[in-house]
Amino acid sequence: MAEIVATNQTILVVGGGISGMTAALEAAECGKHVILVEKTPSIGGRIGQLYRYFPKLCHPTCGLEINLKRLRGNKNLRLLTMTEVADVQGQAGNYTVTLKTQPRFINENCTACGACGEAVKAEFADEHNYGLGKRKGAYLPNAMAYPQRYVLDPRIIGTADAEAAKAACKFNAIDLDMQVETKTLTVGAIIWATGWRPFDASKIQPYGYDRYPNVITSVEFERLADPHGPTGGKLLRPSDGKEAKNVAFIQCAGSRDRNYLKHCSRICCMASLKQATYVREKFADAGDVSIYYIDIRAIDRIDDFHQKVKADPKVKFIKSKVAKIEQDKVGNPVVHGVDTEGYTRYATAHDLVVLAIGMEPSVAANNFPIKVKVNESGFIEQDEANGAIFAAGCSSDALDVNRAVQSATASALRAIQVINRVAGTEG
Amino acid sequence: MADVKIGAYICKGCGIGERLDAKQMMQVASRDAKAHLVREHEFLCNAEGVQMIKNDIANEGVNRVAICACSRRSKTDAFNFEGVAITRGNIREGVIWVRPNTEEARETTQEMAEDYVRMAVIEAKFMTPPSKNTEAKYDRTILVVGGGVSGMTSAIEAAKAGYPVHIVEKASALGGNAANFLRRVPQKSPYANPEDSGVAGLIKAIQADSKIKVHLNSTITRTSGAPGRFAVDITTESGATATEHFGAIVQATGFHDYDANKLPELGYGKSPNVVTQLELEKMAKAANGAVLKTKDGKEIKSVVFVQCAGQRSSKEGHLPYCSGHCCSTSIKQAMYFKDQNPTIDTNVIYSDLRTPGTGGEEFYRSGQRKGVTFTKGVVSEVVNGSDGLDVKFKDLILNQDVVEKADLVVLATGMIANSGVNIDEVKQDEPGEWKSSPESVLNLSYRQGKDIPLLKHGFNDSHFICFPYETRRTGIYTTGPVRRPMDLLQAQEDATGAALKAIQSIESAAQGLAVHPRVGDLSFPSFRREGCTQCKRCTVECPFGAIDEDEQRFPVFNESRCRRCGTCMGACPVRVISFENYSVDTVGQQLKNINIPEEFEEKPRILVLACENDAYPALDMAAMRKIEYSAWARIIPVRCLGSVNLIWLTDALNSGYDGVVMMGCQKGENYQCHFVKGSEIAQVRMSKVDDTLKTLNLEVERVATYEVAITDIERAPRLINDMAEAVKKVGLSPFKF
Amino acid sequence: MGDMNVVKVEAYRNSFLKEVEANVEGGQWVKMCMQCGVCSGSCPLGSAWDHPPQELFMMIRAGKREEVLTSSSMWMCTSCYNCIVRCPRDLPITHIMHGLAHYAERLGLAPKNQPTRKFAKLFWNNLVKKGRVNELKLGVALYFMNGLVEGIKTALKMAPLGLNMLKTKRMNPLEYVGGHGIKDAAGLQAILKKARAIELAKAKKA
Repeated sequence: MAEIVATNQTILVVGGGISGMTAALEAAECGKHVILVEKTPSIGGRIGQLYRYFPKLCHPTCGLEINLKRLRGNKNLRLLTMTEVADVQGQAGNYTVTLKTQPRFINENCTACGACGEAVKAEFADEHNYGLGKRKGAYLPNAMAYPQRYVLDPRIIGTADAEAAKAACKFNAIDLDMQVETKTLTVGAIIWATGWRPFDASKIQPYGYDRYPNVITSVEFERLADPHGPTGGKLLRPSDGKEAKNVAFIQCAGSRDRNYLKHCSRICCMASLKQATYVREKFADAGDVSIYYIDIRAIDRIDDFHQKVKADPKVKFIKSKVAKIEQDKVGNPVVHGVDTEGYTRYATAHDLVVLAIGMEPSVAANNFPIKVKVNESGFIEQDEANGAIFAAGCSSDALDVNRAVQSATASALRAIQVINRVAGTEG
Repeated sequence: MADVKIGAYICKGCGIGERLDAKQMMQVASRDAKAHLVREHEFLCNAEGVQMIKNDIANEGVNRVAICACSRRSKTDAFNFEGVAITRGNIREGVIWVRPNTEEARETTQEMAEDYVRMAVIEAKFMTPPSKNTEAKYDRTILVVGGGVSGMTSAIEAAKAGYPVHIVEKASALGGNAANFLRRVPQKSPYANPEDSGVAGLIKAIQADSKIKVHLNSTITRTSGAPGRFAVDITTESGATATEHFGAIVQATGFHDYDANKLPELGYGKSPNVVTQLELEKMAKAANGAVLKTKDGKEIKSVVFVQCAGQRSSKEGHLPYCSGHCCSTSIKQAMYFKDQNPTIDTNVIYSDLRTPGTGGEEFYRSGQRKGVTFTKGVVSEVVNGSDGLDVKFKDLILNQDVVEKADLVVLATGMIANSGVNIDEVKQDEPGEWKSSPESVLNLSYRQGKDIPLLKHGFNDSHFICFPYETRRTGIYTTGPVRRPMDLLQAQEDATGAALKAIQSIESAAQGLAVHPRVGDLSFPSFRREGCTQCKRCTVECPFGAIDEDEQRFPVFNESRCRRCGTCMGACPVRVISFENYSVDTVGQQLKNINIPEEFEEKPRILVLACENDAYPALDMAAMRKIEYSAWARIIPVRCLGSVNLIWLTDALNSGYDGVVMMGCQKGENYQCHFVKGSEIAQVRMSKVDDTLKTLNLEVERVATYEVAITDIERAPRLINDMAEAVKKVGLSPFKF
Repeated sequence: MGDMNVVKVEAYRNSFLKEVEANVEGGQWVKMCMQCGVCSGSCPLGSAWDHPPQELFMMIRAGKREEVLTSSSMWMCTSCYNCIVRCPRDLPITHIMHGLAHYAERLGLAPKNQPTRKFAKLFWNNLVKKGRVNELKLGVALYFMNGLVEGIKTALKMAPLGLNMLKTKRMNPLEYVGGHGIKDAAGLQAILKKARAIELAKAKKA
């Protein structure tokens, strides 16, 4: 790997999702030197796993394409994938960071021709599809993956598959001896953009996510709708591949609940409204949607999207936190609870139940490589005690993409202020 | 162009060598396309292959590089050479991955590849590496319009990064709406109590900052120029005008309160004790800790907050949107009473309580803990009762109609953006007759109007989820509630981001670099003045209002305002507009130089013009999945469908193409075109294509325009195949020769 | 708006909420409810409730004093604690239900013929006599809870079970006359008397 130049005028961005990418690009496009590290083999993060954005119903990969183009063309920005921050020492304007890079087992020679993927037999749960499908032990993480380079799953190293992959590659791109690499760099400011992860749905026992195949999470539903997903974009339920025409969305699955996540995850209402349109679009009048909610939080000008969905007679809104889900004989999840508007009990069978799953910070409060101030939900607070460590996007709060980008752009300026102070160019 | 020296490089890796005849392609490159130097390589993107090209650039004087290998989206790190024009012939994703590896297909696949080689070389021939924009200026000073919390934050944050700032504020003091706030919603853990509004602190910081200059009682009476060289007239109340120069502009003109007089049913105007949130804030601020009384001096024992007053409603005169902050604001205001005297009853009547995030939910709980009650209901009427006000509402939980008595009713009315004039309604004055408008915020001298185009509901927001700061006026960024409804915390975050965008625009303009979305592009449009017919299409159609008109109605391009989409080039009926690296010729010559087989060969040719950001990647990704499409297709990526000049179509049809498919982005309200109007404009232009076809005596089925999304990995190839089918039906073009 | 349905007076003023907060166990939690309804949906006997817990909480906030305190709903609670476990807002719902029932009883507003209430009273009276529950007496009292005729009917229906219990020595008929108790029954009475006094004083103060 080419040498990395970093000084106390370099900005380190941790996390290559939409927030990290944005922060890195915005800073680099101001002429600043940026190092962007990403834990997984490619950048894009969770937005790369979304089919559409609310409220425009446009495709996240469209913006990703633009961001990747920005990234490819920018000489101020250095990307390190499969890399995590192991340690941070120092203070604003002068941090020493230790980066740990996992072996990809495939070098820059890779042309993404796919020969190794064909040669390897072993298959693993596909992370890009939240485990809903399989991928090979030698794989391109997804169609938009950048770097556009294959990865060998470490689980095939030492097996015949690894040798088969090596033999299939004509370009000498496979290096089975790659080791974990550690490097120490000096940077002036750090933008922390490690984002969120979906709350573990199996913890919500009454919903039976771990027991009923037709109870899935919203992030998984997104994969079902995506042509790149495990069903090729068809809304087929997991148990029997039947078309999921009657779909229930359960809001606050994990959020606003002292048993799970106390905070409101903000995005889930709009996400379900958006996903309701998938059902209606795919099945027209044969599609039925029920949204079980406490409060519909379609905040600010995008409430018009909520009103539009609400006007659809095939989308029902039930003010109720669902009490429990059972499964009937034909595998339909049956949703039980009380409609609190006027008090009616219901026990309704649906083809598929989608849990509008809450977001929690990817990095647990006690797991940061340097002490940062977090709030009660584990999100990083903007605080002078954090020195030149600035949170961007969902590291700072449960945010939608628009707000995450806003936050990332702001964090880029905060980092630049430190860098310019170090460089003495602020005045 | 005597010094053009084209090097064509044919890669044989990734199965290209096995599937295609490289020697034949090399011959096509040198013999047909006249490349000066042609080489093949087993593995062009590896260090050795790249070095070979570098050597040719250094030693052989190659200044145009045609890479015939994978898609232009692949291996960009490897094929990245300074100072030369680079083109890509897509013979991997565009040819071998979309064609079956069969003997029957071999010939047509080879023809496809050879055409892409021709096209890459020809494109290189007509392309020039962009030279630097000579009008580039470096002015580090930022203008912030509006001295509220958003504007002050932008100014302070920009100054902290070392950039001088001027704030223009029309009022006699800084602070904006928030200056009236007694307290603000808490921004930090534990999010339990209202906190200091922070306005005084911001004002103090500005007064202490030598980099920030404040113009009070002032408005902007004229803005002209471009990023890096804005000239702005700042006029004081007394009429004195000074012209200042700026590199970029942040518009933080905030909001004003919805006119509650439009809500007589909620008692506003009928009783002095029905007030808006903003009015209660002023009352609380004036009382400064003393017990709040009704207008008639009575003790307040009960307060009802009516959420969504005139908001989230399709009723005539109401606001269709949610203002976002009002739920938290009502909780804060209820706390003003509860903290003072817990026996005061405060009831918040809401339809959806919207307190998102960690802070929102904690604050909601804190309100409940303090005894603020919350009722899901719909208020129908507020009237003067026998003793105070009667609030009539339907309790949706208990499903009953109710009258609650209250001493004070607070209406949570919405925010209305101070966004200036709507340029879709108020057209720009004619040159020479231009006058400053008191309603306008910026008073732009631009051809397309005095203010920034509105997006929706009067807000100056960006249409893009991923790019929230992108306005349609380069170098001018909107922030705070003028952009979209938002609370103080978000406004501060937003304003910090907007300051960064302003700085970025300044730094980019100084180097002649384009900003979003073609970041870093050095090219800019130039035009042949002698050929121009002053038809004004380019000045009207430019999605970014970058082109002005001089007194003789010739276009004035303002390079640093340009986003390089090429819509002007597509619009020009006399084809006098071009970019150094993208022109009527770089595309037109490609399509003219492919090999059109004789009619008897029965090999149709279909020209596909595909948006480079969405349709083209969709086809690439289809190829990664080996989804096949017709061998008749020849795909040319375009910056935007808006850049497609009709001449390309007529040329294609005249030279014997059998069909043309155009793939742009979704248009209309939820447009996905990153150049805003490109795909829409293209659609309008193409609506006239039928006439062209008729004059040529061709069937209308031969030209099709589609909206294609980046996820259309199955549909995009299908659309090409559909055209192949259509051609089969109507027969080959009679224009083959 | 139909005036028939309009609820007037002190509607939505917090007087009743405050009364509940002062007098009902867990009453200070009522205001924390966000009307999600998961308690109502999780209750295994939910369908038997006229007003499920979340609705009761709203009624309290709406000032429906009479309706709440005379309701049979909170008497339906079997203390399974499902609602407490599920409540996203930490409300001790089971306790509040019992608290409301207890408060209603104290005010004499509890529905006279509510079976759970009757059972509770029988149980209590049975228990406090000797400090131990006399199961036989309690059982018989339950049979005759709704009158003599019904009591005889029930007794006849249960007779075979009783005989079997006798045979297997699971029941001692002599218990009915005497029955065992704690050592210091008088002491228990003293404790209860004192507790009542404290409660009364507390209520007066509130």
